[in-house]
Amino acid sequence: MLKFILRRLGSSLLVLFGASILLFFLVVNSGDPLSDLRESQANNRDQLIATRIAYMDLDRPWYVRYFIWLQGLGGYLLGQGTLGTNRSGQQVADLLANAASSTLRLVVLATVLAIIIGVAVGIITAIRQYSGLDYAVTFLIFLFFSLPVFWAAVLLKEYMAIGYNNWIAEPTLNWALIIGLAVILGLALQAAMAGSLARRAFTFLATVAVVVLGAYLMFALDMWRNPRLGPVVQLVIGLAVAVGATALVTGLRNRSVLKAGLVTVALGMVGYYATYGILFANPNGWIIAGLAVITVLVGVLVGRLLGGFSQGSAVTVSVVTALVMGTAIIAEHMMNYWPALLRVKSRPISTIGSETPNLKADFWVLFLDKGTQLLLPTILLTIISVATYSRYTRSSMLEVSRQDYIRTARAKGLGERQVILKHAFRNSLIPITTIMAFDFAGLIGGAVITERVFGWKGMGELFATGLHQVDPAPVMAFFLVTGTAAVLMNLVADILYAVLDPRIRV
Amino acid sequence: MNAKAFDGKDRDMVENNAGSHAASTPAAEQGGLVPGPVTAPHPVTGPATSAIGVVQRHDDLGGEPILSFRDVDVRFATEFGSVHAVKGVTFDVKPGEVVALVGESGSGKSVTSSTAMGLLPPTADITGSVKLAGREVLTMTPGQLRGIRGDDVAMVFQEPMTALNPVLTVGDQLTEALQVHGIAYGTEADKRAVELLTMVGIPDAASRLKQYPHQFSGGQRQRIVIAMAISCSPKVIIADEPTTALDVTVQAEILELLRSLKNKMNTGILLITHNMGVVADMADRVCVMLHGEMVETGPVHQVLQHPQHPYTQKLLAAVPRLGATYEVAEPEPVTATQSQAVYAIEAEDLSIEYDHRGKKNRVVHDVSFSVAPGEILGLVGESGSGKSTIAKAVLGLLPVAAGSLRIQGEDLATMPTKEQRRLRRKIGVVFQDPAASLDPRFPIGDIITEPMVVHGVGDRRSRLARAEELVDAVRLPRSVVNRYPHELSGGQRQRISIARALTLDPEVLIADEPTSALDVSVQAAVLEMFAELQSRYSFACLFVSHDLAVVDMLAHKVLVLKDGRQVEQGPTENVLHDPQAEYTRRLLAAAPVPDPDLQAERRQERRELLASLGEAAY
Amino acid sequence: MIPVSSSAQNTGRPAGGTAVVDLAEAEDIKLRENAGRSYSQGALVRKRFFRHKAAMVSLVVLTLVTLLAFTSIGFAGIPGWWDKSYTSAATIVNGGKPTLSLVPQFLGGEGLRWGEHPFGQESTGKDYFALVMRGTQQSMIIAAIVGLLSTVIGAAVGAISAYFGGWVDSVLMRLTDLIIVIPLLVLAAVLGQMASGLELGIIPLAVVLGLVSWTSLARLVRGEILSLREKEFVAAAVAMGAKPGRIIAKHLLPNTIGVIVVNATFAIAGAVLLETSLSYLGFGVTPPDSSLGLLISQYQNAFTTRPWLFWWPGMMILAIALSVNFLGDGLRDAFDPRQSGAHRRKRGFFSRRASVTEAGATTAGGLAAAPTARGAGLNDAPVDADGRPNQPHNTSGFGAGGGQGGL
Repeated sequence: MLKFILRRLGSSLLVLFGASILLFFLVVNSGDPLSDLRESQANNRDQLIATRIAYMDLDRPWYVRYFIWLQGLGGYLLGQGTLGTNRSGQQVADLLANAASSTLRLVVLATVLAIIIGVAVGIITAIRQYSGLDYAVTFLIFLFFSLPVFWAAVLLKEYMAIGYNNWIAEPTLNWALIIGLAVILGLALQAAMAGSLARRAFTFLATVAVVVLGAYLMFALDMWRNPRLGPVVQLVIGLAVAVGATALVTGLRNRSVLKAGLVTVALGMVGYYATYGILFANPNGWIIAGLAVITVLVGVLVGRLLGGFSQGSAVTVSVVTALVMGTAIIAEHMMNYWPALLRVKSRPISTIGSETPNLKADFWVLFLDKGTQLLLPTILLTIISVATYSRYTRSSMLEVSRQDYIRTARAKGLGERQVILKHAFRNSLIPITTIMAFDFAGLIGGAVITERVFGWKGMGELFATGLHQVDPAPVMAFFLVTGTAAVLMNLVADILYAVLDPRIRV
Repeated sequence: MNAKAFDGKDRDMVENNAGSHAASTPAAEQGGLVPGPVTAPHPVTGPATSAIGVVQRHDDLGGEPILSFRDVDVRFATEFGSVHAVKGVTFDVKPGEVVALVGESGSGKSVTSSTAMGLLPPTADITGSVKLAGREVLTMTPGQLRGIRGDDVAMVFQEPMTALNPVLTVGDQLTEALQVHGIAYGTEADKRAVELLTMVGIPDAASRLKQYPHQFSGGQRQRIVIAMAISCSPKVIIADEPTTALDVTVQAEILELLRSLKNKMNTGILLITHNMGVVADMADRVCVMLHGEMVETGPVHQVLQHPQHPYTQKLLAAVPRLGATYEVAEPEPVTATQSQAVYAIEAEDLSIEYDHRGKKNRVVHDVSFSVAPGEILGLVGESGSGKSTIAKAVLGLLPVAAGSLRIQGEDLATMPTKEQRRLRRKIGVVFQDPAASLDPRFPIGDIITEPMVVHGVGDRRSRLARAEELVDAVRLPRSVVNRYPHELSGGQRQRISIARALTLDPEVLIADEPTSALDVSVQAAVLEMFAELQSRYSFACLFVSHDLAVVDMLAHKVLVLKDGRQVEQGPTENVLHDPQAEYTRRLLAAAPVPDPDLQAERRQERRELLASLGEAAY
Repeated sequence: MIPVSSSAQNTGRPAGGTAVVDLAEAEDIKLRENAGRSYSQGALVRKRFFRHKAAMVSLVVLTLVTLLAFTSIGFAGIPGWWDKSYTSAATIVNGGKPTLSLVPQFLGGEGLRWGEHPFGQESTGKDYFALVMRGTQQSMIIAAIVGLLSTVIGAAVGAISAYFGGWVDSVLMRLTDLIIVIPLLVLAAVLGQMASGLELGIIPLAVVLGLVSWTSLARLVRGEILSLREKEFVAAAVAMGAKPGRIIAKHLLPNTIGVIVVNATFAIAGAVLLETSLSYLGFGVTPPDSSLGLLISQYQNAFTTRPWLFWWPGMMILAIALSVNFLGDGLRDAFDPRQSGAHRRKRGFFSRRASVTEAGATTAGGLAAAPTARGAGLNDAPVDADGRPNQPHNTSGFGAGGGQGGL
């Protein structure tokens, strides 16, 4: 197994090396790096040209320039590498550091969301094959597939950002919109739940009622400008997740799993009060990351101790419950600072930039600011790749559902839930791992456009500017990050594959 | 705590199922695992069922059936209208009884049995009545159906390679049913799983519980499937072609296992099969189905020895039997004195390897044989014996690793490409899978004449004439040349395959299991035609088969292979009627014959043979 | 000497209607009496494709869009019926608003009207309809060239790689990996910048896009052919002495046509979007020529003031990409009916295959697929997952008596 992964890694690195030569060659030959200066009317034109030739080593053949670049890269092994300079002599490594963080934040978040949503949607549409929901989702997915990113981005900016910003300044109840949303949600949910006509009607009406009432309550309690959760809501969320996860994973009949979930909720409430002070003051990213790790550990521990003979399921339920509660607690603290954000930034979702420049504020306000700026690009990128994941999951689930062992599982008397989650789902994930790696590379391409549309100074910008200027160093830096990411994703896919499929674990 | 959970659950089951799962004292007389001759179900007094180890023995119900079908009628809605798959079938299965549902493809036998578990798709329109232990199955809610599946009625499937979930451990899959039906949980369930595996003859069960299905052989997987089926002590087991995918020796073991479990648990078995030998071996009563109707039913002796319906007679007559022969061409003897005559195929110390990513895997070791012109050599063995590999090597599809292989005195592997093409004109081939051996995009005429096109023989008109001539020879209508493979049945496709092989009048024909994917009566027709063509064209033939009876009927000589090595070879009548090698004897002993008395004798002989070798029967 | 009774004598099918009890014989009678038309695989696929509603609608939309784009402003020097050019500026009328109206007067609209500038005018007064039509033409040209080029390269690389295996396979697949590891947009942008330097219009860009978008098809074709190569009809062809070229061209590629055609459509949709993206970023079509992506890029900030400048090209891209994608979906369903939605039959998540197989076999009335349905792959057996036969003739069941039904 290890040998297999190492061999794959080795061949990936070799491919990466080859691709870097190809890309370098192509970029160098894609145009004239001096074209802007040649047309320049400046007095010191010749001097400028000479400087640039010196910076970019234009007097040497391309392979020598590549070798110099490679040498700089190799220097990192000795602790003193360089990614070269751009045409004005700036160190590319410095430019990259800033650019990479915002781009990776965007791409990783979008990938994770896309996988979760896409796989879930894929499973539901596979289970409800040929239902109205299936057709509607299929149509939406084809729409997303066919959507030009930049065009959709303009629409998002207009209707989500600007519309919301106008509205939040002075929230008013728009009954038509709320009822419309409620009806769409109700229709979707009843289609997903299926069942008898009466059950469908109940699901639909209940959903509409909850949404409309919820919207009204949010408005009445001034939740839009001044949102808050409080311990009671936290408890309700925790209980709902614990019970729901248990019902999904093992069924409520399994008492020990349910018990593990409920104990996790209790511990979550303890955590809620214990961390309130730390989180309310001015925390930092490390504290939150540490708390997240503790949350997962607590979940695992509770599941192990209380799970009895179904430890695995208990751990799953506990960890999911713990994570959702943790997220809810973080959300509560974010909400506490929402009015503060509105004070410094009256139009919370601005359409340009990855963060508001020169914003001096508390941790939570800055966090919220980055979050709101991340919102639109993430939605856009997620929509694009959700299409792929849900489509693949759907067809993979349908393929698996035709296998003999599914029939065996049914013949044992297992319920639908167990057949789908235990027998079908895991098998259907196997082919999906392989598209993960591909999709990630594609997403980075999408990110280039997204960054341009939303005016982020990310890697896409680095690449586009570099290419326009026929300047290989920034382009190669971009490729280095995307290529490494692709290789890493491949590695993750390989490992996941081995985890999921015992047949290749040798 | 676990034990408590089990007890509690079991008591619930008692209440629910009116005593079917009462936890009573083990019945000592049934505790052993030694298979005995079929014992008459003895009357049980006291509790309705009794536990034997982890399974339970069921009551006789005083001769009442445990599973009864009354006028079961199934239609499927398809895009082309309704299809009448089962047309009013009525029969019973009693506790401890094996009822065989016999029929060829499309007879509706699997559909009939699936109604007992509610496993048909929603497009099925089912009428009539299926009663399981007195409860109507057809009107059950999904929840009730789940309750009986696995618990009251369990299923053993045809394909052990795909019936188990590849990503879950065997233990996980075994304990699942126990937990779902509330029989045992956790470590208690694991303990039961170990016992179940031991019971079905998997050694070292405790450590193998953590293994995955791919780590078991086909026969072992079928044992695991059987262990899963008996885990909740079902009242009825539906075995859907349980041994069709297995080798004949493994088949014999699995049948012995099923028989001994049935005797122990007194379950009814509904055995679905197309193999009359299996019927003779296992069944108490037989129901013969044809196109969704039951054409004959009765005790096994009556149906197999005195069949009334012409279809049953036909079916029985079509079963290949040892000792019967077809008329085939007499081979031309090849002797040292004939200087110009050469063997059609001659192999000396032939070894063949598969190259798997640089790793050489030798699958055929030092095999020698020769086929004279006009002679048929039967290549016999079980899966993995290397018989198909040899056929592939003769066709030049695999390289020879060591030794020599000559076709008409020439070495195909070492010849230049052009010469190879010339030699290949003289070789015809028929493969096993009728679905895969014809290109689905070619019309039949093009398929038959492809060898002529490849070798540039004839023009359009003469090719068409040849195609029609060959279509006549395989007794198909001439209009078939304009049809496509998917419009033909498996048997018809196999005949087209034979016609294609004969297009260029080959001197050597390689037939790799040409009839093993066909229904028995279709197989008979194809074999008969094959024999006739061979005596007309007198080609030399390498006939690969796993079926000893088929080889006995066709071949002049037989070569028995095991694990890539030759076991025994010689004239058919010597090898198959007076076998010297122990393995050949085993093979012969394991093949069931379609006569219940004869088969009972053979079963006893096999037990004695295995006992003399110090082995158990299953 | 022959113990097995020869075919028909004892159980024949006398006029009286006695049952035909020999399966093989019944099959032959069936075949002989079946005078229906023969359908090749291709014909079956066409039938299924033409039943796919979404694909049919898409086909109509695509045809209309193509006709509109090429006849309106003309192409390659041939003038069209639209008199305004996409290059010449004019005075702006009524703020450049579109004159097209589709709302009839009795509904309160301005009636059905085409007008002087149906799509409006852009900032320098150029006719926006002509510009959008020009952009659509560009997209169509891209679609055609990329579709052709990527399909030919992808299928060839995949087929050669899979058939020959060994070092040929290694080299070709590493080459494919090499291209895959560079994000498609990046590679296309670099090559697009090189191509736009040639100043030969859209063709070099299209060729470049074709040269980089064949990789996924190559992998798919390779996978498909690797499994086809194991099929016995290929072994039979090799054994009869057919040359590799013939085997690839006559046996392997025709049997992967489904994968190829379906993926060609997805490659086309992808390429149309890729061109617009490149033009948007400035690496594709550059002014004074026009492209849909370029138009959006130029007028994205005009959204609030002159929204039509933004909507028309976007809707055009969406219409093209969406219909091509739906065409691909229809083709996939036609070639591989297993996951098809064409038969709007309620079917549960679990189509219990095995149990239905026999039913399907019965349906085939011709027992046609019977013995093969047991384990055969779909490429060969005419029975889809549910065991439904795809033989349009022969729909009635094979009666048990043999006398009625399909006989």
